[in-house]
Amino acid sequence: MASQRKLVYWIALLGALHGVVVCAGFFSPYDPEEQVRTRPYVPPMRIHFVDARGSIHLRPFVYDIRPREGAFDEYEEDTGRTLHLQFFVRGAPYRLLGILPGRLHLFGAGDARVYLFGGDGYGRDLLSRILAGGQISLLAGLLAAGLALCFGLSIGATAGYFGGLTDDVLMRGAELFLALPWLYLLFALRAFLPLAVSPLEAFLLVIAVIGTVGWARPARLVRGVVLSAKERDFVRAARGFGASGAYLLRKHILPQTASVVLTQAAILVPQYVLAEVTLSFLGLGVPEPVPSWGNLLANLQQYSVLASYWWMYLPAAAMVPFFLGYLGLASALQERADAPKIGA
Amino acid sequence: MRYAFRRFLHSVFLLFGVSVLTFLFTTLAPGNYFDEMRLNPQIAPETVTALRAQYELDCPLPVRYLRWVASVARGEMGFSFAYNSPVAPLLWVRARNTLLLSLTATFFAWCIALPLGIWSAERLGRTPDHVVTSATAVLLVIPDLALALGLLLLAVRSGWFPPGGMVSVGFASLPWPRKLLDIAVHMALPVTALVLSAIPLLIRHVRAAVAEVLETGFMRAAQGQGIPRRRLLYRYALPAAANPLISLFGFSLGALLSGSLLVEVVMSWPGLGPLLLEAILARDLYVVIGGVLLSTLFLVGGNFVADLLLYWADPRIRTE
Amino acid sequence: MQPLVQIEHLAKRYRARSQSSRKEVVALDDVSFAIVSGSTFALVGASGSGKSTLAFCLACLERPTSGKIWFDARDVTALSEKQLRRVRPEIQLVFQDPALSLNPRMMAEEIIAEPLAVQRRFEPRERRERALLLLERVGLLREMARRCPAEFSGGQRQRLAISRALVLEPKLLIFDEALSALDCSVQAQIANLLLDLQSAFGLTYLFITHDLAMAAHMAREVAVMERGRIVEQGLTKNVLRRPEHPATQLLLAAAPRFARPRTGAGL
Repeated sequence: MASQRKLVYWIALLGALHGVVVCAGFFSPYDPEEQVRTRPYVPPMRIHFVDARGSIHLRPFVYDIRPREGAFDEYEEDTGRTLHLQFFVRGAPYRLLGILPGRLHLFGAGDARVYLFGGDGYGRDLLSRILAGGQISLLAGLLAAGLALCFGLSIGATAGYFGGLTDDVLMRGAELFLALPWLYLLFALRAFLPLAVSPLEAFLLVIAVIGTVGWARPARLVRGVVLSAKERDFVRAARGFGASGAYLLRKHILPQTASVVLTQAAILVPQYVLAEVTLSFLGLGVPEPVPSWGNLLANLQQYSVLASYWWMYLPAAAMVPFFLGYLGLASALQERADAPKIGA
Repeated sequence: MRYAFRRFLHSVFLLFGVSVLTFLFTTLAPGNYFDEMRLNPQIAPETVTALRAQYELDCPLPVRYLRWVASVARGEMGFSFAYNSPVAPLLWVRARNTLLLSLTATFFAWCIALPLGIWSAERLGRTPDHVVTSATAVLLVIPDLALALGLLLLAVRSGWFPPGGMVSVGFASLPWPRKLLDIAVHMALPVTALVLSAIPLLIRHVRAAVAEVLETGFMRAAQGQGIPRRRLLYRYALPAAANPLISLFGFSLGALLSGSLLVEVVMSWPGLGPLLLEAILARDLYVVIGGVLLSTLFLVGGNFVADLLLYWADPRIRTE
Repeated sequence: MQPLVQIEHLAKRYRARSQSSRKEVVALDDVSFAIVSGSTFALVGASGSGKSTLAFCLACLERPTSGKIWFDARDVTALSEKQLRRVRPEIQLVFQDPALSLNPRMMAEEIIAEPLAVQRRFEPRERRERALLLLERVGLLREMARRCPAEFSGGQRQRLAISRALVLEPKLLIFDEALSALDCSVQAQIANLLLDLQSAFGLTYLFITHDLAMAAHMAREVAVMERGRIVEQGLTKNVLRRPEHPATQLLLAAAPRFARPRTGAGL
């Protein structure tokens, strides 16, 4: 089936992207928090194969940089010093998945520092920080989506199954949450929680806030499915041979919600990643020095950074392939769900 | 008329619910403006206590809520600790700017999305449709923050647009046509950011709704009668698709209001967004509540207008 | 002899919940009749006459607003949900559209065995064996046991639904328009299967249909419903020979005529 193949394609893409982020330690050349204060705001270094004298190198290389004479904060390529890129080098230690220690990096250049994506104000390598920040932002989005879906599923199923007053009360509550422009609601909730917290606390707080705000739409969708599933003949038949409510929900009704829940997950994850990024960007989310795509973009709010250091925008561009993957997945799932079940 | 009244009551209920909800959030605050003040060694503890008493913060929550409702009824909305002034005037100025931005963006977004969606629906499955669909997919994939920052970057590096704010220095001395132009130039980027983030979804939904209508029997019958294309589209197809489109309009208002919060902060547009952010960072309780409520008012009001439009447009609702 | 089923003054009203109005709908109004054990009783009427509501009330899937239902000398309307669970195996329902009454994600043998699992009878192996036996009894093949409903034809699916209804060894089977969605030739096959099963297992049938000719083929007694009330009742041959109520006459006029096999319990 064409839709099945599309699904596999999108899952493969997302898997690869997430794989890179999960193995951020391996793919990034340096420790994301390692500072080199003597080299602030290094622009991205270009990869060359042909040097200034015209000879071709088999190994890609970059030129080391030196400060430009007479100019403040500007650099130029030092064509005398070529730094060859070496692959599978030993570098700064890291922990894969937070547990497994490792020291192997995809590439490096010995003792010198290669800034493929440029460096920030403290001389930290932006590529390494983008990968590490991705871990935080993506994880936050995934966990928040999981939380919202848990809430949404339980509340929606309860409302749909019991009907009557329970349904009315719960759905009015959902309407209330949906009536607020969601970013304002997010802010309001975040506002009244402590601001100066440790990065871990901030991370958990952000997930809790986003997940709590987002239950309403999934709940409504699940409720709709449960309501119609409850009236289906095969559920009635099961009641007819003595099945209890819990059994009906578990075996016959909730499985019907699977496709809705999955599609919602694919839609919500990128939204919630963006929510975390927005909160961190504005200083309400994960604070320095822990990198998140949001706080990596935060200093773009200063005019000087915007005007002179364009590569600080790259974390924003990094989000795009992930959004592409999730949206593609969502549309493939939607297509599959819309396909007819039992033919006439 | 009963329908309109019921929708109105519904909106009022929503607003009350939201106000209670936001007020309840304040009970979560383990810290507030005055606790932070207390930490400041330069301010004597007695001053803090006196100020707290002055703002009646030690009353129980329900009492505070009722007092706040009473003050809203009088047209005030509490007191801002940070600005040391009533909240309402602060909000209105900023709200006006936010409305200006959001409404302009809504207008342009629909001006682009509606014709494009219809045009695409007419040529469903053929090359022009694919072009439009691909373009909207590309836009959808770019997150709002990236879009806003990207535009800002473009503005700064090209110098064509001012990098933020609403008016230039020396605005007051300009003659009024130049004033309008000045504001328009400053609005260009934020409006573009909002429009670009809104149109992909709008185009998709318009296209879907119109395509569905174009498939139906009555459209083919009308075609068979030889009615000219433009009339067909705008006098027959569009009204039939009005139902989902009007609901979409209500939804797009909410999305644009949320979106404007971020765009205003990024592009330094003096609207509710930056005010809200400041208030949050400063723990200015009543400003936050007032800001959230005002934006909800806009959203609920917009949806109410959409409901009324629906009532006017769809005769089926009138007969229920 | 006591009838198996005795329905007394059954009434069902409910409020339609639409956006604006709160109209009260009368689905059943003072319905009374009895079904003798081992026989087939037909309930005939146009759409919306209340037949399905009656079926659900009798199958204890819905509570009537007033009236009593006596099943096997027990008042099922007075039982609690827990007590009802013990009565349920004895009354089973076969629905109109098997595409909707069978869970599309389950295999045939799971579908048939499910009631046994819910009622916690027998070990899984024995359940499966019984399911396979029933599968064959209704005219399907053992090899089809692992297929999902989508892989069966309409008639085969209905046979599957019937075998599921039989697995708990019920006394009463209610057929809610069970043949209406099938092709004419398939209808005749399944009708004969039902008659065959009835005599083999001593089952009692309540056969609900809008097709008077089908009722004639299957049932000894018939009741005609219109808008929640029984307007005419009696032995099938009498009602068909001399229909008194206009509703009956309308239904008779609409019924297609087909040759009645000699094994029919009707005329």
